[in-house]
Amino acid sequence: MSLLSIKNLKARVEDKDILKGFNLTVNPGEVHAIMGPNGSGKSTLASVLAGNENYEVTGGEVDFNGKDLLDMAPEERAREGLFLAFQYPVEIPGVSNVNFMKNAVAEVRKHRGLEQLEAKDFLAFMREKQQLVELSGNLAGRSVNEGFSGGEKKRNEIFQMAMLDPKLAILDETDSGLDIDALRIVASGVNKLRTKDNAFVVITHYQRLLDYIVPDFVHVLYNGRIVRSGTKELALELEEKGYDWIKEELAEA
Amino acid sequence: MSEAMTTSILSDLVAGAKSPANFSSIRSEAEVFLAENGIPSKKHEDWKYTNIKRLFDNGLSLASGKCAISHSDVPGLEVSWSDDETLIGSSGIHRKEALAALNTSVFGKALVVRVKKGTHINGELLLNQEMDLLEGEFAATRVLIVLEENASLKCQYHFTGSGNESSLLDHVTEVIVGKNARLELNFVQGIGRGNLMTTTEVSCERDANFTTNCIQLSGKLLRNNLNIRLKGENVETHLNGFYMINSNELFDNHTHVDHLVPNCNSNETYRGILSGNGSGVFNGKVFVHRDAQKTNGYQSNNNILLSDDATMNSKPELEIYADDVKCSHGSTTGQLDEDAVFYLRARGLDEFGATALLLTAFASEVLNSISNEELRNTLELKIQAKLKEMR
Repeated sequence: MSLLSIKNLKARVEDKDILKGFNLTVNPGEVHAIMGPNGSGKSTLASVLAGNENYEVTGGEVDFNGKDLLDMAPEERAREGLFLAFQYPVEIPGVSNVNFMKNAVAEVRKHRGLEQLEAKDFLAFMREKQQLVELSGNLAGRSVNEGFSGGEKKRNEIFQMAMLDPKLAILDETDSGLDIDALRIVASGVNKLRTKDNAFVVITHYQRLLDYIVPDFVHVLYNGRIVRSGTKELALELEEKGYDWIKEELAEA
Repeated sequence: MSEAMTTSILSDLVAGAKSPANFSSIRSEAEVFLAENGIPSKKHEDWKYTNIKRLFDNGLSLASGKCAISHSDVPGLEVSWSDDETLIGSSGIHRKEALAALNTSVFGKALVVRVKKGTHINGELLLNQEMDLLEGEFAATRVLIVLEENASLKCQYHFTGSGNESSLLDHVTEVIVGKNARLELNFVQGIGRGNLMTTTEVSCERDANFTTNCIQLSGKLLRNNLNIRLKGENVETHLNGFYMINSNELFDNHTHVDHLVPNCNSNETYRGILSGNGSGVFNGKVFVHRDAQKTNGYQSNNNILLSDDATMNSKPELEIYADDVKCSHGSTTGQLDEDAVFYLRARGLDEFGATALLLTAFASEVLNSISNEELRNTLELKIQAKLKEMR
């Protein structure tokens, strides 16, 4: 059974149609890359899947692990194992990372029927996951994303992903704006979290990230639909030729 | 002024009210002020949003023996009921504000807390003002806190009870923080449906350190007048408030900080959450007098409205007559950050959990200036409980 099945998904924001019949199937153990020019609908897809109410779904269906994803509140999606690494992580003054993660992990474990962690075990668990993305020891006490550099914010997203152990992670332009070191850290964090049971949808504008996180499939999103699918070679071709040749081919067809 | 005339002024305001025999000099001054000014109506600038006169117009009668103040026993600390005329009323507040004047006219004895010179009190003093007034009842209670030179004290002052919505408690606390003395004074006000007017009149001597936090949880009407006079150099003062206002509640905070001399610091943070048709008022005045060079004065008031029908009237005022000072003030009123709520929900917190986490963080800037962790934890639980009522 597939982990995620999206059929003919249509969505709009502020009366503008963005997704116009999007289809995608993701199986456990797979990494899918979704590439496309600016404005093609990449971030809308991520927001709609996470349940952002600023986006209105106008058609289609999404099955996540046997359940109707679009019927769930954002928190239910998270508890069921969907994770969105935000393109722009939100700064939350006054809420410490440890308090945030304590609440989030407690909710997720409760939903999954797991015992709650003792305070000591939780802190050890948190330290272990921090190391995955090389975030320093004082992360726990700092306010969520407040005063973080761009790279720290993205590493914090991957750290949160490691804490919540999702079945499906959507990385929304996690690579944009990162320097080479941060990119390497983020990618190696993701690679360590890959298993045969979970899956990743990596949304990116650039091929560079895919040197580090090697996808099984690459899809090109243009004007709200997937217009081409292939393997990692497609990403290389896009890097070399840009997106114009796809636009031209579509115009001719 | 003849006794008969005095009685008639007081009795016009509060049936059965007349001045007790003690404190004759401050009482007669207070009565002169009341005779000239009466109870302020909404036409008075300081009472624009808060109609206290309505309570008097509906009729109030003096309830004696009610609204007892209880206190804990703390080793080394003198707490007693007193009619010592040397310090009670020495602030002169009864010559400036009507409700303080009315209080001065009729209060019985004052609870006096005195920390002797050089005494550091280890334990924390707990005061509890019970609000047990019935319909149409009025009471006036009075406290004086004196810290002599080099003394220090922490005090929690709780106002409790379920309250009656046509009653009024008129309370005055006078505070004297002596040279190099330290006082932390935390008020917690949760009075159900009662009406409470407090006046806190503070004077700080040289090198004093005074912190006050006022956490406001329930009441039909809470009006707090807090006046702090920085009389000696090198004083540091922190005045903070946190209020949660739900439907049919009006909380009004008027603060006034007077920088009279150079080299003093004042820091003021008032924050609040409003819901339903609740209303709030913040009026914060910081006066930097001509001689008060090198003053640092900061003030902020931030409000979060959880509903369309809640109202906040915020007026920060800074008046500076010195030319070498650092001062700032600011006021914000807005909604909860929806992006932050979504971010937290996307990590598994439900909508209420996300909202509560953000609002608790919003409160924490004020709560964190309360040094007693146990009190902070208790207040956090009370804040959570009130948030549940407000959603």
